Amino acid sequence: MKTLVNVARYHLVDRLSYWALPWGILAFSFLINLAISGLLPSPQGDYTGGLFTIYAYLIVCGALSMTRSLPFGLMLGVSRRGYYLGTALLIMMLGVVWGLGLTVLQAAERATGGWGVGLHFFRVPWIMDGPWYVTWLTSFVLLVLFFWYGMWYGLVYRRWNVAGLIAFAAAQVLVVLAVVVAVSMTGNWPAVGHFFTTLTALALTGVLAAVAVALGLGGLTTIRRVTI
Amino acid sequence: MTPVISATALGRRYRDQVALNDVSLAIQPGTVTGLLGRNGAGKTTLMRIVTGLEFPTSGAIRVFGEAPAENESVLRRMVFVREDQAYPDLRVTHVIRVASWFYPNWNGDLARQLLADFDLPLGRRIRKLSRGMRSAVGIVIGLAARAELTLFDEPYAGLDAVARQLFYDRLLADFAEHPRTVVLSTHLIDEVADLLEHVVMLDRGRVVLDAPADDVRGTAMTVSGPATAVEEFVAGRPVWRRQRLGARAAVTVAGPLDLTEQARARALHLRLEPLSLQQLLVHAAGSPADEKVSA
Amino acid sequence: MPPLDEGTPLFVQIAEQLADDIVDGVLAEGARAPSANELAAFYRINPATAAKGINVLVDEAVLEKRRGIGMFVASGAREQLRAGRRKRFAEQYLDPMLAEAKRLGIDTDTLVSLIRGSGWHNGGDTP
Repeated sequence: MKTLVNVARYHLVDRLSYWALPWGILAFSFLINLAISGLLPSPQGDYTGGLFTIYAYLIVCGALSMTRSLPFGLMLGVSRRGYYLGTALLIMMLGVVWGLGLTVLQAAERATGGWGVGLHFFRVPWIMDGPWYVTWLTSFVLLVLFFWYGMWYGLVYRRWNVAGLIAFAAAQVLVVLAVVVAVSMTGNWPAVGHFFTTLTALALTGVLAAVAVALGLGGLTTIRRVTI
Repeated sequence: MTPVISATALGRRYRDQVALNDVSLAIQPGTVTGLLGRNGAGKTTLMRIVTGLEFPTSGAIRVFGEAPAENESVLRRMVFVREDQAYPDLRVTHVIRVASWFYPNWNGDLARQLLADFDLPLGRRIRKLSRGMRSAVGIVIGLAARAELTLFDEPYAGLDAVARQLFYDRLLADFAEHPRTVVLSTHLIDEVADLLEHVVMLDRGRVVLDAPADDVRGTAMTVSGPATAVEEFVAGRPVWRRQRLGARAAVTVAGPLDLTEQARARALHLRLEPLSLQQLLVHAAGSPADEKVSA
Repeated sequence: MPPLDEGTPLFVQIAEQLADDIVDGVLAEGARAPSANELAAFYRINPATAAKGINVLVDEAVLEKRRGIGMFVASGAREQLRAGRRKRFAEQYLDPMLAEAKRLGIDTDTLVSLIRGSGWHNGGDTP
């Protein structure tokens, strides 16, 4: 356990990547959107996907934790498994804290009527527009999911380089395609549609959590034979 | 005594080449072992397998009695200073601080002392350091960790002779005060010859020499002088190399020579010169793959 | 003392150097001998090698171990070493000298007068 905590601490020494940049990027994206909203107001309020920038950043951050930071991590007498779990644990802890921050900002946004300009930046319709505890949970799951997804990409790159990355991405596309084909061929689109329309935000969060766990396990199996 | 490292018929094969072939050895605790050999002999591969970074394709490896791969109770007791260690984008002082969390025997005072000795700029990003300075950081970590098993794989890339001597001196001093098992891989053999207690030499993935350093001294001698006297003296001994220049000859024979033989050589006005560890390596590397240098 | 270039093991050379110091009186009887670590640092060699050299002299009862304090030169060590070296003197120094003298055609009388002329005093301490 102590090793896992030390691995988390190791990553956190990089204040730029784990303290400054996430919030910096979020602030930047927010301010841009705020400015646009202020300058070009629209009656029904602006819905931006600006929050997505932070998730994109987390994919990159996750990948880097498994590429740039891995060699020194393994030098420190940590097993691959320990390094992976320690890193995964780190983002879970950060996810709790950051998720709370996003929830607070969401509440502030609601209270100020979209920061006075009707901006819906932190309030993503339906999925992050409800009770604070659901928002917190959903934020947490999404933050962890994207970071773990990035970790897996980083590991695939380590083991199989660019060719591996392409194959990895292609495989995912194929999986999605296979599902789509299967659903079409069995005429199950109505059932799928029904499923999604009756899905609550909480239930969707559950699905996302399952996806995150799957991604986490994927990365864990990939790191086993990584050599540095 | 249970060996710290125990390799049994260890092999590592890649698609197109064999890095290690039937390597068996035992490293005893508290010793300084030199792992010698040419570039590509398999020294790095062996050390990577010992530290769990690589997986053998055949045979077994045990460190502190257990398989090292993914085994944190073993990994924690080792430190591996590599020639090509990659660091994240942190400052020197951060890298040292992180290292201090992980090694149970870490000594901060020693680290500080070494950082000063090597004149390392604490605030600079490690990626901006010269190769020599980066090597020095690795050495600082390797020594300050005071790990029970300390492995150095040609850790002095970019270090000049003065800095290298500093490394040997600090290693020796700390080793004397706080005994541990040290394995040092190098091709600058003569620089470290006196530090070594035990010598293992690899060539093309095989062990060609595995003996106490003291036994290796005097393994071969070059006898030089008047050709007839030289030939008379070396008659009946296995000859490694023969050189003639006019009426003089220099013949390298397998030793050792006892005191009587040494006296006889002196009486014949022959000069005796033992082969240095480095010269022994050159010879051992030149011989066919399955010929062992007997110590 | 055997010449150093004949591949004698390091620990033997260490023992010989310590013995030299004792014979020369630099390291007095009853004085503390350097420890293995000190020798290792001085010669830049492995402490185990230095310890081995010390043990050679311990086995010969030239050095004695006083537990908790260190290694000390045994009383009578100097004379013991000198006696041992006197025995080897003929083989190590005399024989080669005589062989060389013969080679150069120096007869016994010339040899003796050379020795006398060098100012060496019979049986005395080192000049």
